[in-house]
Amino acid sequence: MRRVTTFAAALLAGALTLTACGGSDSTNAQPEASGSSSGSAPASDIKVGLAYDIGGRGDQSFNDAAAAGLDKAKAQFGVQTKEAEASQGEAEPAKEERLRALADAGYNPIIAVGFAYSASVAKVAKELPDTQFAIIDDAAAVGPNIANLLFAEEQGSFLVGAAAGLKSKTNNVGFVGGVDVPLIHKFEAGFKAGAEAAKPGIKVQSKYLTQPPDFSGFGDPAKGKTAAAGMFDAGADVVYQAAGGSGGGVFEAAKAAKGLAIGVDSDQYNTADPSVKDVILTSMLKKVDVAVFDFVSSVNDKKFVAGEKIYDLKADGVGYSTSGGQVDDIKDKLEAYKAKIISGEITVPTK
Amino acid sequence: MHLVHRLHRSPTEEGVAISTSSASPTADSRRDDQGSAAVELQGITKRFPGVVANRDINMAVRRGQVHAVVGENGAGKSTLMKILYGMQRPDEGSISIEGREVSFHSPSDAIDAGVGMVHQHFMLADNLTVLENVVLGREPSRAGMLDFGAARRRIKEISDSYGLDVEADRLVEELGVGDRQRVEILKVLYRGAKILILDEPTAVLVPQEVDELFDNLRELTGEGITVLFISHKLDEVLAVADEITVIRRGTTVATVRPADVTARQLAELMVGSELPTPETRESTVTDIPVLRVEALTVRSLEGRALLEGVSFTIHQGEVLGVAGVEGNGQAELVEAIMGMRQLAGGTVSLADEDLTAWPTRRRREAGVGYIPEDRHRHGLLLDAPLWENRILGHQTEPPNVKGPWIDRAGARADTERIVRDYDVRTPSIDVLAAALSGGNQQKLIVGREMSGSPKVLIASHPTRGVDVGAQAAIWDHIRTARREGLAVLLISADLDELIGLSDSIKVILRGRLVADVDPAEVTPEALGSAMTGADEKV
Amino acid sequence: MSRLEPRKVAMTLAAPVIAIVFAALVTALVLAATGDPVWSTVTTVWDYGSKPRVIALTLNQATTYYLSALAVAIGFRMNLFNIGVDGQYRLAAFAAAVVGTSVSLPKPLHLLVIVLTAMLVGAMWAGVAAVLKVSRGVSEVISTIMLNAIATSLIAFLLSKVATDVAGSNNRGTDPIPESGHFPGIPLIPGSPLDSFGFIIVAVLAGIAYSVVLGRTRFGFDLRATGRSESAAVASGVSVKRMVLLSMLLSGAVAGLVGMPQLLGASYTYSIDFPAGLGFTGIAIALLGRNNAVGMALSAVLFAFLDASSVILDINDISKEIVLIMQGTIVLSVVVAYELVRRYSIAAEQRRVSRELASQGSPEREEVAT
Repeated sequence: MRRVTTFAAALLAGALTLTACGGSDSTNAQPEASGSSSGSAPASDIKVGLAYDIGGRGDQSFNDAAAAGLDKAKAQFGVQTKEAEASQGEAEPAKEERLRALADAGYNPIIAVGFAYSASVAKVAKELPDTQFAIIDDAAAVGPNIANLLFAEEQGSFLVGAAAGLKSKTNNVGFVGGVDVPLIHKFEAGFKAGAEAAKPGIKVQSKYLTQPPDFSGFGDPAKGKTAAAGMFDAGADVVYQAAGGSGGGVFEAAKAAKGLAIGVDSDQYNTADPSVKDVILTSMLKKVDVAVFDFVSSVNDKKFVAGEKIYDLKADGVGYSTSGGQVDDIKDKLEAYKAKIISGEITVPTK
Repeated sequence: MHLVHRLHRSPTEEGVAISTSSASPTADSRRDDQGSAAVELQGITKRFPGVVANRDINMAVRRGQVHAVVGENGAGKSTLMKILYGMQRPDEGSISIEGREVSFHSPSDAIDAGVGMVHQHFMLADNLTVLENVVLGREPSRAGMLDFGAARRRIKEISDSYGLDVEADRLVEELGVGDRQRVEILKVLYRGAKILILDEPTAVLVPQEVDELFDNLRELTGEGITVLFISHKLDEVLAVADEITVIRRGTTVATVRPADVTARQLAELMVGSELPTPETRESTVTDIPVLRVEALTVRSLEGRALLEGVSFTIHQGEVLGVAGVEGNGQAELVEAIMGMRQLAGGTVSLADEDLTAWPTRRRREAGVGYIPEDRHRHGLLLDAPLWENRILGHQTEPPNVKGPWIDRAGARADTERIVRDYDVRTPSIDVLAAALSGGNQQKLIVGREMSGSPKVLIASHPTRGVDVGAQAAIWDHIRTARREGLAVLLISADLDELIGLSDSIKVILRGRLVADVDPAEVTPEALGSAMTGADEKV
Repeated sequence: MSRLEPRKVAMTLAAPVIAIVFAALVTALVLAATGDPVWSTVTTVWDYGSKPRVIALTLNQATTYYLSALAVAIGFRMNLFNIGVDGQYRLAAFAAAVVGTSVSLPKPLHLLVIVLTAMLVGAMWAGVAAVLKVSRGVSEVISTIMLNAIATSLIAFLLSKVATDVAGSNNRGTDPIPESGHFPGIPLIPGSPLDSFGFIIVAVLAGIAYSVVLGRTRFGFDLRATGRSESAAVASGVSVKRMVLLSMLLSGAVAGLVGMPQLLGASYTYSIDFPAGLGFTGIAIALLGRNNAVGMALSAVLFAFLDASSVILDINDISKEIVLIMQGTIVLSVVVAYELVRRYSIAAEQRRVSRELASQGSPEREEVAT
C-alpha cells in the first residue's frame, strides 16, 4: 500500500505541477491585456466577458484570435474586459458557472469561445435574459439573446487546397488536423475539395494528431512535426495544418523536407518563427478577431442581433493570406475560385 | 559444549543461583587489572523515549582476551554494542579505549579508535572477490591508481598472522558461511581494529564451524587482539570466553569467569529465575497416521530439485523434528505442505484425505496449523491490530466469521482468550501487531494456530528470537497439544529444541531426507555432523 | 479501524490537516510572491464558495470525484494501482449512453439498465488489466495506462459510427437519452437555482457499501490482508490471483459509475466534450482521504470546492493555477505527512505498550528495547 501510495503521489504531483506550469504560460500574457481599460481609448461602461475553452489566451491559435479581437475592441471603444478560461477535464456545470460568475460580476455581453460552450450558453442565456451572449463556432445554442458567430472554414480551406494543388509537383499533398473533431473535419473537407479542383486525381494524405477527449493535438508541436514528416516522406510536398499550437512542428517538418506548409487561422507568415517563414506558402484565415470585434462593436452601438452571423468568403470572414508572395503567381486562379464560391457556382462540402 | 542441554536432564542437581551480589568479588578483582583494560565502560545509560535500553552499565574488557556479553534477547546487548561501535550515543556514562576516554559520533570514529564490528548478517558483495570486498571503502591507491598489490600483500599478512586462512582472490559467492565470516573479520582487521566486536557470530554456523571460529578467536587474542563476543548461547560462551558479563534488563548484573560457573547458573543469571527445559520424554506417539507426505518433489523455476522424494508420516501425538542447515529445503517442505508451492511430484495427505490438489485455505480449514518461519512476512499483518491478526489464516472459521461477515465480537473475545492463555503481554487487543515484542508476537501466532484444535501443526522455528520465558511457554503448549493427539512437524535450527521436543528426527540435506536420528540418544554434535553431511549414518 | 479512541482519531486526522495547512501556506507564499493579496483572495474565494449556487455546484462535482476516489481506493486497499479508472469510466459512460438511447423501457428500469451497463463495461475494461496481471504478470500500472489510451481511440471510433451530427453544432455525441433514463435532480441546497445530482444518493450508498464490504466482510478482510502483506495473505490461504481479479472487477464497476452523475443528471449524451481526467483526480482524493469512506468524501468536497474557486479567481485576475498548485502540494505533502505520522504512531504505540506493560507487570516483566 505504501509503495503504491508514494508512486501515485509522485505521479500525480508531477502531473499537476506540469499542468500548472503549462497553464501559467497563458496567464503570463494576461495582465497586459485584461483588467481595467488603459491608454487613450475613450471610456465606456460596457463590460465584455470572454470565456475561453481549454488553452485560453496564448494558445497561438483560435483563442488568441479571439483575444486579438477583444484587444482591438478595447482599444477602440474603451470597453472593460474580463477573460476566463476553462480547466482541463471540467464538466459542463463548470462552464455554466463561469458564464454565471461573469454575469454576476456585471459583464454583459459575454462571448463564449468554442462549441464546448454550446449547452452552457443555451442554459445560462435562458436564466439571464438581460445578458447578451455570443458563441463562436456553434449554431445549436439558440435564443433571443444569443448571437451565433459561425465561420465557413471549408471555403477558406478550399482556396488554400487549390493553392496546394497548383503548387504541388509530386501530385501529393497532406492535411494535419489537430484533434479529430467535426470542426476540423470542415477544414479537411474544404482542403480536399480545393486540391482536387485544382489538380484532379491529386493524392491527399490526412492525419489527426489526437482523439477527443485528448485535446493535446492542438498544442503539441512534436506530434505535428512527426505527422507532417511522415507525409513528406510519403511523397507530399505541401502540407496544410489545422492544428493550432501543433502547427509550428508542421512548419519545421516542411523546412527539413524542403517542402511547403500552409498555416491556419491567422496569417502565420507574420507570427511563425522567422526561420520557417520561407516554407509558409499561405495561411487559411479564419477571422475570429473580426467576429469578436464586430460583435463588441454591435453591442457598443446597441445593435445586438441574435441568431447566426456567418463569416464566409463573401463576408470576408475567411480567406487566404498572401504575405511572402509565394502565391502571387497563382493569385488569379485563387481569386477565380473565390468568385465562384461567392457566386454559388462552387459549393464546398463540409465533411 | 552443550552444557545447558546436559544440565536440563538433571535440573535440580545444581540449584545454586548466583545472585547479583555474588558476582561482586569478581568485579573487585577486575578493578585490580584496570591498567590493562582495552575497553572500559562506566555508567553507560541509554534511554529511548519511554524505555531505558541500557542503564548504568559497567564493564572492563582486558586486552588480549575474549570477553563475552550474554543476555536474553532484548536485554540490551545490541544497544550496548551499538554504543561501543559509535552507532548510538550514550545519554550518560563514559567509554575508555586503552585508558583514554573517547566519544564516538559515528562508526568511523570507532574504527579510527581501533574498534571494529562483525555484524550478524554479513555485509559482503557476492560478485566481488575477497580482496575487493576487504578494500571496499578503503581502496589503497598509489599515484591515483588502485594498488591491489599492496592490499593483497597486507591481506596475506593478516591472514597468516591470525591463521584466518583467507584467499584474497576467491569470489565471495564461492565461499561457505564460515569463510565469509573470516572475510568479515579480516575486513575489520584490515581497517586496523584492535578490538573486535562479534555480534552473535555463531547464529549462522554449524557446530564444526563454531569450533573453527573459536580456534580463530584464540589465535587473535594470542596476537593481542581483544574480542567482545555477544551471544545468548551459554555453552559456546563458556567454551570460548575468558570473562563473561551478564546483562539483564538493560544493566550489567555480573561479571564471571567460566571456571567459576555452570551454564545453568549463568542462564539463571540471565533470566533471573528458574529455567525452562524443552525436555519431553514420556512418549505419546500413537500408530494413527495424521500427516503423510510421499515422494514430495519440488523444483525451482530453473528445474533444479529443491526437494527430492521426501517421504514421512507423522502420527497422532508425535513430534517429528527436521534437522538441517538452513537452506537445505526446509522452507520448501513447509510451503509444499501448506499448499503455497507448486509440486513437481508426490502427495500430501491428512488422515485419509489426499490434499495434494487443495489450495492453502482448504488445508488450513481441514486442520493444518502453521507457525511460519518468518513471522513478519508470513505470520502477521504488522499494521493491523491484534484482533485482526487473530483472524488471519482463519478467515473462514468461527469464532472469527459468521457467514460472509467478520464476527468482530467473536474474534475479539477469542483474541482476549489467546492473550490470557498464552501470556501475550499487551495492554490491549487493539494495539498494532508491530507494537509487540517478537516473543509476544510469536505467542500470539502460536495461540492462534493452536485454537480450533488443529490435527497437525507445521512449526517452523517456533521459538526463534523469543526470550527464554516465552520459549518455555511455547514448548509447554506444544507438549500439551501433543499429549492431546496433535501431530507436529518441527523445523528448528536450535538443536537443543529439536532433540528436546521431538519423538523422532530426520535430517534434511540438499532437499533429501538423509538420516533418521533417535533424539533420546543423539548428541547435538552428532546431529550437527549429520546435518553437514559429514557423516550420513548416525 | 476499531474503536474510536481519541488518540487514534487525532492521529488519523493529523496527517491530512498538516498537509492541508502546509499546502495553504505554500499557496499563500506563491500568492504573495506573485504580488496577489493573500487575505482578500481567501475572502473572495470564501464569499464565492458559500453562495448556495456554488455549494450545489461543489457538491455535484464532489459526487463525481467521490465515486472516482472509491474506485481507486478499492485497488489501493489491495496494493493495486488502478490508473485506468479514467478509461474505464469514459468507456462505461459511452456504452451507457448508447444503450440508454437505444432501448426504451419504463422509468426505473431504464435507469437501472443504463447504470448496470456502465458498471459492467467498467468492470470488463478493468478486467482486461486484471486478467493480464494474473495470467501474464503484467503490472496493472502499465496495462491500465495503455487501456486508457485504447479506450480513447475506441470511443472516438465508435462515436463516429453512432453519432448523428446536429445541424450547426461542432460537437459530436450520442443521441440524448430519453427522459425515462434521466436521474432526477434534487433541490438539496436551499436558494440554489442548481439542483443537486440525484446520483449523490448512489454515491453515498456506494460509500457505505465500500465501508461495510471492506471493514466487515470476509472478502474485505482478505482484500485488506493482501494489501497489507501479500506474503502473509498467501500464507493465510488467500488466493491472491482471485483477489486481484475480483478487486479489479469491483474497482472497474465502481469506475463505471463515475460518469453517471453527468450523463444521467446533466448532459444526457456522451459527446466529445464529456469530462475527462476524473480518474486521476480520484487518485488524489483517495490519497488525501486515506482510502477511508468519510475521509474521501471530505477530500472530494475540498477538491471540488477548490475547483469551483478557480472560476472566481480567474475573474478576479488571480491565476487560477494556484488551485492546481494547492492541490498538488496537498497530495505530495499528505503522503509525506502520512508516512511521518505512521512512523510516529507506531513508535508511540510501541512506547505506550512497553510503558503500560512496565507499570502493570512485575519488574521481571519489564521489556527493554534493543
